[in-house]
Amino acid sequence: MLRFTLNGQTVETDLAPDTPLLWAVRDQFMLKGSKFGCGAGLCGACTMHVDGVAQKTCVLPLAAVAGKAVTTIEGLDPEGVGAALQAAWVAESVSQCGYCQSGQIMAAAALLEANPNPTEAELETAMAGNICRCGCYPRIKNAIQSAAATLAQDALFTNAMAEEVSA
Amino acid sequence: MSTLSRRSFLRHSALAGGGLLVAFTLPGCSTPPSLPVPRESGDFVPNAFLKFTADGAVHFYCPRDEMGQGVTTGLTTIVAEGLDMAPQRLTVELAGAHPDYANPGMGFQVTGGSTSVKEHFTQLMTVGCQMRALFLAAAAQDLGVAESALTTDDGMIVHGENRYPYAQFLSTAATLPVPETVDLKAAADYRWIGTAFPRLDGEVKATGKAVYGIDIDVPGMEHAVVVRPPVFGAKVVRYDDRAAKSVAGVRTVVEIATGVAVVAEHFWQAKKGAEALTVEWSASPLDGATTASLRADYAEALAAGGEEAESTGDVAAALAGATKTVDLEFWAPFLAHAPMEPMSAVVHVKGDSAELWAGTQGPGPAGALVARHAGLEPAQVMVHQTYLGGGFGRRGTLTHVVEATQISKATGTPIKLLWTREDDLRGGLYRPASLMRIRAGLDDDGRLAAWDAARAGSNITPETIRTSLPALLPGMPDGVVDFMVGLTDRLHQGWVVDHSSIEGLYEDYAVPNLAVHHATKEHGIPVTFWRSVGHSYTAFAKEVTMDALAEAAGQDPVAFRLAHLEHNPRLAAVVAKAQEAWNGWTPAPGRHLGFAAHHSFATSVAQVAEVSVEDGAIRVHRVFCAVDCGLAVNPDIVRAQMEGAIMYGLTAALHGRLDFEGGAVKQSNFHDYPILRINEAPTVEVVIMESQEAPTGVGEPGLPPIAPAVANALYRATGKRLTELPLSDALRLA
Repeated sequence: MLRFTLNGQTVETDLAPDTPLLWAVRDQFMLKGSKFGCGAGLCGACTMHVDGVAQKTCVLPLAAVAGKAVTTIEGLDPEGVGAALQAAWVAESVSQCGYCQSGQIMAAAALLEANPNPTEAELETAMAGNICRCGCYPRIKNAIQSAAATLAQDALFTNAMAEEVSA
Repeated sequence: MSTLSRRSFLRHSALAGGGLLVAFTLPGCSTPPSLPVPRESGDFVPNAFLKFTADGAVHFYCPRDEMGQGVTTGLTTIVAEGLDMAPQRLTVELAGAHPDYANPGMGFQVTGGSTSVKEHFTQLMTVGCQMRALFLAAAAQDLGVAESALTTDDGMIVHGENRYPYAQFLSTAATLPVPETVDLKAAADYRWIGTAFPRLDGEVKATGKAVYGIDIDVPGMEHAVVVRPPVFGAKVVRYDDRAAKSVAGVRTVVEIATGVAVVAEHFWQAKKGAEALTVEWSASPLDGATTASLRADYAEALAAGGEEAESTGDVAAALAGATKTVDLEFWAPFLAHAPMEPMSAVVHVKGDSAELWAGTQGPGPAGALVARHAGLEPAQVMVHQTYLGGGFGRRGTLTHVVEATQISKATGTPIKLLWTREDDLRGGLYRPASLMRIRAGLDDDGRLAAWDAARAGSNITPETIRTSLPALLPGMPDGVVDFMVGLTDRLHQGWVVDHSSIEGLYEDYAVPNLAVHHATKEHGIPVTFWRSVGHSYTAFAKEVTMDALAEAAGQDPVAFRLAHLEHNPRLAAVVAKAQEAWNGWTPAPGRHLGFAAHHSFATSVAQVAEVSVEDGAIRVHRVFCAVDCGLAVNPDIVRAQMEGAIMYGLTAALHGRLDFEGGAVKQSNFHDYPILRINEAPTVEVVIMESQEAPTGVGEPGLPPIAPAVANALYRATGKRLTELPLSDALRLA
């Protein structure tokens, strides 16, 4: 029996330890937002956060996540980075077929958590592991930059409020 | 030149538009199936498209399939405009299978050919306007006022200062006759059509809540993976399933028509079981084939001349008398669609009924296929349509639905079948490879005098007949289907030119002497519609040739094209719009511009690409795109489709190739079938021509110009006239 945390809840599985995390999450824990695209870690449709780091879970065996914290699109923070990205995704009409977008947003969230103001080159490097066959790339860039700007505004506002309160 | 002569009309088959099949339509089952619209008491369901509920909700049953092209937003906007109610207020449902959801341009419930907005615009505008008129009549009766005293505003009946929601008049509306004729809303009164607003499916797709075929889970469901032959045409001789059955979770192994299925409790177990299965396959005529051997066969067919598809004037004499000539041979490889969601379906065959859950480009045909292979009537099959994780033509062929049906029939359990990415790339179907040759000549004035074009390769129509006839004509016995397929095959060997094979090779520019030939060469490799179909390769040949001709004529490439478009005003207008970008565009140092234009699916597109070569690698920095698609229902979705088609086309232009080695497909996953990534994506500027003409398609027409635009820029960058796709390989070998 193997144990890990899934979106804040402790879960147990008796699936073979070589089973990729993606399939345990989809077939046993019934969270379908993370997708299968290649099974080889090449497209990023299966991206989740493991201890806060974006990981391609179609090639990540369950054995590797024992005791770790796994976050899927369903558990992405409803405030902060996740919410800002999702709002930008809707406003920019990023999605076409939408199939890869959970993975795109999870990769983008890990990027902005680590680097709130990425350059275009940093953005491209962080997102290059995620394929979008519909070709939404220009909009993905716009949405990440727009979310980063929104978060920076929010941070300014929060800091200003904090100063006001302390003054 | 765009008018077909009677002869060419007879000689071109037109399956892509469904014309050929309509002629063979047989009467369906005797009782019309009930609408797949769930209803409770108090609901008002006046037709297949709309359901009004007492709480004020309005459900729109979208007849076309959402594969990313934005059809759920576009068609909702049209019906909502007629209804005079904001599209955001409607709840969009993905319609199940029913004849009322047929594509008006095809007669079948199929999404493809960039037809959805074009074919449904008038139908859904009429439905919306009829419902608005009905609510006005009901309100007049209930309020005891003249209809002329009433108007509407965003889902409300307005009487002076008073506003009443449509829902207030539901019960009266349900008793009144739907007006047979109704004035359609005038374009000047549109509130939502022509306005850019975010897609209606944006939120479910940004939160992981959108449901695709792969996401379906039903009680008792088992997972299947099918082992298929490594070479097309091979059959199972025998198999050994002992090792497969010893994999934990594997429940059973079933032989089906296309291979051997391993059924397990979970997908991963089924996949491990499939890897442990040993299958002996029969020989195939394709054994030993390589890309080089296939291409040599096409070259032989091309040299033999093929069948005449078009002829005007005397092309031989005009070429002989030309001042300058261009003679180029083009190659475009086999390509897979590679949608992000591999093929998947859930089927449950029960005693006297069956259910299907899948995202397909044809829920009607899909249900009919389930019925056929389950031994049921189509009316006994319930079809649940889901979102499609990409289509691009691939989800119009439903082999995976047939496979899931055959497995479920054998096990009696609900079966989720999933193709792996390797299955997707190696199991067909493909954009056919093409060898093309264009010989063109200029007269003394630098005008196009002769255009002699030919294409060799396989045709998509026989395979389409093979896969779609059983779906479209449920009652037709297998023997008759086989006969029809054989007949179509024979017709294309020397009698009829499959129009899909040559479309786009010759139509756009004025030329007095024209000849078009097609040489069919079939190898049993399954091919089908691939985003923009024949245009995906013919535009490359045509537009690279036009660039070479402009150079031979000593003319600017854009001006040269415009000079041959006087008869073709809408294409001329987009070329002129792109000319403004071209003339005002100074590329950054080391970068070069290329131009191409193409008309397909009733839409005209012109593109300029800014390209550089850095350390031997092609980099496309920026693309300008002008498009005339008539009235743009949602301009932002038109832009998105142009952006997406350019990216899809760039994958093909720069990287895309499927090769054959020892009869089998060589590539297997995204490491050797690379897809354009975000760091390779250009910025795209789209200009939509102002138009009140009827809307035309946008899913496909943005694709054809991008490969030749990049090739033409590479010629300026390197001096090398690249005529083979993909361009990255061509440049390396040039």
